[in-house]
Amino acid sequence: MRSRAAAATLLEAGFKEVYSMEGGINAWNGRVAEGAPQSGMAYFAPAATPEELAALAWRLEGGSRKFYSALADTVTDPEAKDLYRQLAKAEEHHQTALLKLYEEFSGKASAPGFPGALLPPGDEDGDTMEGGMRVSEALEWAKGKKTTDILELSLSLETNAYDLYIKMERRMQDEHSAQVFHVLSAEEKQHLERLSALLEKRM
Amino acid sequence: MNILNYFKQVPTWSPEKVRRFLKEKSPEEYNLVDVRTPKEYERGHLPGARLIPVGEMANRLFEIDPHKPTIAY
Repeated sequence: MRSRAAAATLLEAGFKEVYSMEGGINAWNGRVAEGAPQSGMAYFAPAATPEELAALAWRLEGGSRKFYSALADTVTDPEAKDLYRQLAKAEEHHQTALLKLYEEFSGKASAPGFPGALLPPGDEDGDTMEGGMRVSEALEWAKGKKTTDILELSLSLETNAYDLYIKMERRMQDEHSAQVFHVLSAEEKQHLERLSALLEKRM
Repeated sequence: MNILNYFKQVPTWSPEKVRRFLKEKSPEEYNLVDVRTPKEYERGHLPGARLIPVGEMANRLFEIDPHKPTIAY
């Protein structure tokens, strides 16, 4: 078992508290994120300041909100409709948190139409959502799909987003930039728990 | 990597114990290390896990904080 050997190496090196997970990833029945260690990070590459990072993240959350709002408008199942409304609301909440951070960092109120001028050109239409998918493509895919299938897609997109935010926080050199991703990953964690609970109820 | 490390006794946690721990803690409170190959990592990893293949571990210890609880899989 590779993780036992790795754990032994760490203990030998003086790490005090090390555990090897029994059965490895095959025994894990929770969600997994996909992609290489740097996957998804390119989206944030154009940002040079914490303000710009907050703006880029805000736009991404906006894409996810658009996705869930459009689903809420199109589905007929009342329970599903309600669920997508809640999810859109959660994304709006993420955006509010980012806006507050922006105002805190920049020391000024955000202009109407935030983030507009802060960002370099590209994706002004806000068609990218968390997990890196295009909103238009995800909506096309969702047509005629069952609620549980759509929830599965949401969960995997959000799991990838959670993975990305944790890694981005670790990577950030300055405190404010790290804070942007700290807020996002904390929100995303709660969000994932709610989504999983709803999916379990529906299955 | 010392081949004998494959035979050493190390503390283990069940996946369920890991799941509860990750749920309760915030990501900056622990190290979660994926020791498999990059290909395996790409196909699916625990959210937030660092990739340090077991053969590279001894040379990459500086990447992880020895004061935090560490989970390897």
